[in-house]
Amino acid sequence: MRTMVGDILQQAGFEIVGEAETGSQAVEKYKQLRPDLVTMDIVMPDMGGIDAVREITKYDPNAKVLMCSAMGQQSLVVEAIQAGAKDFVVKPFQPSRVLEAVQRVLG
Amino acid sequence: MDRSRYADLFRTESRDQLSAINRALLALEQGEAAREPVDAIFRGVHTIKGMSATMGYAGVAEFAHELESLLDKVRTGEQGLTADLMDALFAAADALEDGVEQAREDAPLSPLMHRVLERLHDVAGGRATAEFRVVRPSEAFRITSEMALPPEDAAAPGPAAAAPAAPAGGGAGATVEVVQEASTLLPGVRAFMAIQRLRELGEVLRSEPSVEALQAATVPQRFTVELATTAGESELERAVRSAGDVATVRVTLRAAAAADAGPAVAAVSAPPYNRRASDQLPAYGRRASDALAVDDLLTTAERAAAAAAPSRTRHVRIELSRLDTLLNLVGELVIVRGRLQALTRTSPDPALQEAMADATRLIGDLQAEIMTSRLVPVGQVFDRFPRLVRDLARQLGKDVLFAIEGKEIEIDRSVLDEIGEPVVHLLRNAVDHGLETPEARETAGKPRAGRLTLAAHRDRAAVVVTVRDDGRGIDREKVLARALERGLVDAGTTRLDDAALLAVIAHPGFSTAEQVTDVSGRGVGIDAVQAKVRALGGALEFTTEPGRGTSVAIRLPVTLAIVRALLARVGEERYALPLTHVRETMERAPAAIRQVQGKDVLVLRDEVLPVLRLREVVQLPAGARGSAAEEIVVIERGDRRAGLVVDELTGQEDIVVKSFDAVRDGAALFSGATILADGAPALIVDVGSLL
Repeated sequence: MRTMVGDILQQAGFEIVGEAETGSQAVEKYKQLRPDLVTMDIVMPDMGGIDAVREITKYDPNAKVLMCSAMGQQSLVVEAIQAGAKDFVVKPFQPSRVLEAVQRVLG
Repeated sequence: MDRSRYADLFRTESRDQLSAINRALLALEQGEAAREPVDAIFRGVHTIKGMSATMGYAGVAEFAHELESLLDKVRTGEQGLTADLMDALFAAADALEDGVEQAREDAPLSPLMHRVLERLHDVAGGRATAEFRVVRPSEAFRITSEMALPPEDAAAPGPAAAAPAAPAGGGAGATVEVVQEASTLLPGVRAFMAIQRLRELGEVLRSEPSVEALQAATVPQRFTVELATTAGESELERAVRSAGDVATVRVTLRAAAAADAGPAVAAVSAPPYNRRASDQLPAYGRRASDALAVDDLLTTAERAAAAAAPSRTRHVRIELSRLDTLLNLVGELVIVRGRLQALTRTSPDPALQEAMADATRLIGDLQAEIMTSRLVPVGQVFDRFPRLVRDLARQLGKDVLFAIEGKEIEIDRSVLDEIGEPVVHLLRNAVDHGLETPEARETAGKPRAGRLTLAAHRDRAAVVVTVRDDGRGIDREKVLARALERGLVDAGTTRLDDAALLAVIAHPGFSTAEQVTDVSGRGVGIDAVQAKVRALGGALEFTTEPGRGTSVAIRLPVTLAIVRALLARVGEERYALPLTHVRETMERAPAAIRQVQGKDVLVLRDEVLPVLRLREVVQLPAGARGSAAEEIVVIERGDRRAGLVVDELTGQEDIVVKSFDAVRDGAALFSGATILADGAPALIVDVGSLL
């Protein structure tokens, strides 16, 4: 999952500055690295994606978080957006859709 | 003038009137304030009288006239309502229906009508006195126009009543109409995002559909948002577009002073409501049969008004076959679009790319419009069930409180036409075998009246129709004993869960041959119901609890013709998995699949799910294992879930379902076939049957 989104972004010229395995790691990494963009799974071990987004936006209201969702997680995605995520992409990933979403978030 | 051309129209319109009459009769019987239902019945009978006289259906018109005279006495209080009279009125409604269906020109009163009239007069006493004459065609113009008049107090609401309330405050505002791209994934979230972005620019006064409904939407939407805002047109449009997957945005600004001009949605003009005869006479002067068309328009509009539709629109009846043709054409167009997309993808010509993008969007809009035009509220079929349940209950000596929920839920016309029969089966079963007699219920400490609920609700891309009773439930032990005896379950089975129970009672002929008292008849029809529902690409879900009742849910696709599907590859073959049954998808993390008691299971969050391999299900030869590219689709039906392993998920596509006959014979593994965007054929997996 991570590698797939990573590959799509790298091919489009983005640099991956860090990766995290869990929600709480993601929050820590965000504070360390202050990336331009975060892509995050909704379901993660330890701290879930929604809580992680909430933590990150609390720390940086301008944080740009893009959620990665599977089919059928509509209500979770709405929750993530309410928590501060800026956009989302749905698996299976299509590179063009991922890049469109990234551009909307960064634009 | 050839009136036969209008016979179908007459019947269609009369059926609407009859269903209104039946509804009102039930309301009357349930003791609703008598005035309104009696007026409604009177109105319906009166309209049928007028129309049948125009058509020259003398018998029907005379019968309606007699009925009307009696109703008039009830209306004035001269005739009291008794249980006997109610029964006679129900019989009269049936006779009228029969008359409408059998109507022939100049045919006199049928024997059935005679009998019913005699009964009515016995019960009520006294024949109708007003002289009534069936009009000859030459006189039809004048008399029909008089007869088509409803009683004064039944006049349809004027347009003023229908105008949507102006937004509160009357300040500056905007109406934003948004249409989502046909290819939108999780359209509910996108719609929510669009509204959220608008909230940043002003106060959202109203959204149609509601924000909650939009948020739960599973198909791309068209919605309208009213805002109190000072933001400009382009600012609003930019905000909506930033939510993504927006096909079109139309912003109508409203200046602060002109608040009473009303929002854009009110711009759709209401049809002429004035039903004064003088307004209609010119039309009759041209062709008498126009009376039917005009009346038809009006009643349709009235129905829309009754449903409190936010905007009034004109309606026109279209033959279903035309909509079918349109749907087939747009289906073919969707396939061609996919092929064109594949062909133009590699082209370096930007003009071609742009034209292709435009065509793609337009075809998507066209498809959405045509699909929407085929949707009708389930109430159109459900409305005839209260009558059916009432008759059954009376006949069987049961006391039944019948409730219908979710009448407004919309479903494709062709699906709706097919579900009436299975629902009737389920309702019959519930009243006959599910609900106990009042005495038995009392003994069991339950209220004397049994509850029976028919409910419809949307669940993602499906509509679920549930028939639920609070009766005695099904005796698992008895069914199990019988199933063991007949070898329908493995020897040694000690318990039947709901799904296993359904499998047993849905076994053709189960229980009919046996006469298991408590469940007799339960099996009758369940196999037929299941066959029908499967043929529609749906699934049955079943729960029962002894002493507490039984619930049967029919899960149906909203539309039969074009569904969104996940495309899966196994070896060289491709299969379509309709999203109706797909819960989520995941890459196969090596740790996700474990072995428990020699069987593969999928550990998903806190759940342990069985694992199916599509390769094995479709009996393809085992491929090179460990290609590591396997993916898992979590499929579900009701409470049952499983992980379906495929080689690869290649994307999502709108597929046009072509059903084939093989579905009916045995192996119901596939619900149809389709042509994919690249022109290759694919089989559509009946996911429900895998569980």
